[in-house]
Amino acid sequence: MNMPEIVGLFFKASLLLFFILMVVLILTLAERKALARIQQRKGPNRVGFKGILQPFADALKLLTKEDILPASANKQIFWIAPLAVFLPGFLIWVTIPLAKEVVLANLDMGLFYITAISVLSVMGLLMAGWGSANKWAMIGGLRAAGQLISYEIPFIMAILAIGILAQSFNLKEIVDDQARWPFAIKQPLGLFIFLTAGLAELGRTPFDIHHAESEVVGGPFVEYSGAHWSVFYLAEYMNTFTIAVLTVLLFLGGWQSPVLPFSGIVQTVASLSWFLIKTALVIWVIFWIRGTYPRVRIDQLMSFGWKILVPASFINIFLTASVLYYALPHWVITVVSLGFLGVTFYFIKKGSLAGHKQNTVTIINSSDIRAQLSNRAEV
Amino acid sequence: MKIQSPVVGFINGLMVTIRSTLRRPVTAEYPAIEKRLPLSNRYMGFPALTWDYDVEEPYCTGCMVCVRECPTQCMSAQMKDNPQHEKGLSRRRKIIESFEINLGRCILCGICVDVCNFDAIEMSHEYELSKYQRNANRVNLNQLLDMGVVYQNKLQWTPKQPQKNSGIPLPPKQSEDSS
Repeated sequence: MNMPEIVGLFFKASLLLFFILMVVLILTLAERKALARIQQRKGPNRVGFKGILQPFADALKLLTKEDILPASANKQIFWIAPLAVFLPGFLIWVTIPLAKEVVLANLDMGLFYITAISVLSVMGLLMAGWGSANKWAMIGGLRAAGQLISYEIPFIMAILAIGILAQSFNLKEIVDDQARWPFAIKQPLGLFIFLTAGLAELGRTPFDIHHAESEVVGGPFVEYSGAHWSVFYLAEYMNTFTIAVLTVLLFLGGWQSPVLPFSGIVQTVASLSWFLIKTALVIWVIFWIRGTYPRVRIDQLMSFGWKILVPASFINIFLTASVLYYALPHWVITVVSLGFLGVTFYFIKKGSLAGHKQNTVTIINSSDIRAQLSNRAEV
Repeated sequence: MKIQSPVVGFINGLMVTIRSTLRRPVTAEYPAIEKRLPLSNRYMGFPALTWDYDVEEPYCTGCMVCVRECPTQCMSAQMKDNPQHEKGLSRRRKIIESFEINLGRCILCGICVDVCNFDAIEMSHEYELSKYQRNANRVNLNQLLDMGVVYQNKLQWTPKQPQKNSGIPLPPKQSEDSS
């Protein structure tokens, strides 16, 4: 590799980083605005026109705040942890295509690379929890580890089913394969598993038990402040964007659109915008879910992951593989998948989510108690 | 066996939030004057003194009943002989000389209004306590009358007992003489 190539790659990577930072800034504002509208509020509207400069003000505030190092913290681990959370999330972006030609490196094992790298961020959260020398941080870090490892399985299984269906792990080929039918139609169960497990991977509501403010006061990030805390924040929003982009790429047909008759550079720009519109819709769904559901308990989280999502993901993968093996038409996957989606919902509703037998509290009428007491008095 | 819809719970939740998303925000952007919520007529703000336009003087005679009844003792008042009465221009023998209310101490209970015999004090529509000076919430007679005038003009206020409390001098008592 000669010098100009390296400089070019460096330039591309910086461009990517800039793009991600801008997206994160927009997302922080978009989330506050979306949540505000869900609660019939207005949201930030003071800084700049309708509040569009709010993220810049927030960033400036965070950067000028003091970085506090707790006295008993493990210094190296404490300072490296934000980077260990941020870097894996950013490395994923090397292989994610935003349009047909807009990609840093199109890997043949792109999906495999993504799943392999994204797991690493668990380590960063554990490091943050351990390095802080704080019990809340430690509990939060362990919760994060337990949660991420549990939901990694259905997440990867849903991705694997897509790989089987598209006969490729290359993201570009997967998108090309969805030219006629997006995989969301072929795999509704897979979409459900992917989005749910994705939310848990992100640690967003309703699965945000690892930084639950009311229980572990912010989880692994308790002791962080200023710039280092903002790196965690950055990683969180970047991962939200990543999950939304992956959902669009794997299930909603990426930049494929029914109506884009252009060619050349115009087509690239048009398909990029089309892709970003789809992504924005998925992100809105994520915000919508955040504005709707309360946080699940840790036992609910675990039993939902292991008793519902993992079996469902195995059924999904088995279904896809057997339909392809016996060369059945693809609508069979759709029908059976929808059926199993219904079954999954049925089990959620039935209360398998609660993780234990319901109605464990015995309800006693006050009249019964009074009768018992009067009996005793007579005796 | 009763068959239930399998998804009712969480789909319902999503529908609730999307419905409230489509409604207009209810936020009142408070400090902006044109965006404040309108006050209803019965709103009870801080007490203010009313102004008798008939004879151009306050209704208050400084009888001290509000000062004595105030549960937080936030008021003080002093009376004087009414110079207009001596000239025969007003029915009131005594008139208020100085009146002070510490608005920071007032609990807006309205007892002063209930006990006033002269329709002289009213709960105005004033409700803001933030001032630039430390003692600016101790309002004197003139400020109280200003607050009262704003309130009177806003509501077209009239005294509850006009015959009894009007300041217009009574006609000379001729009926007693003739009988």
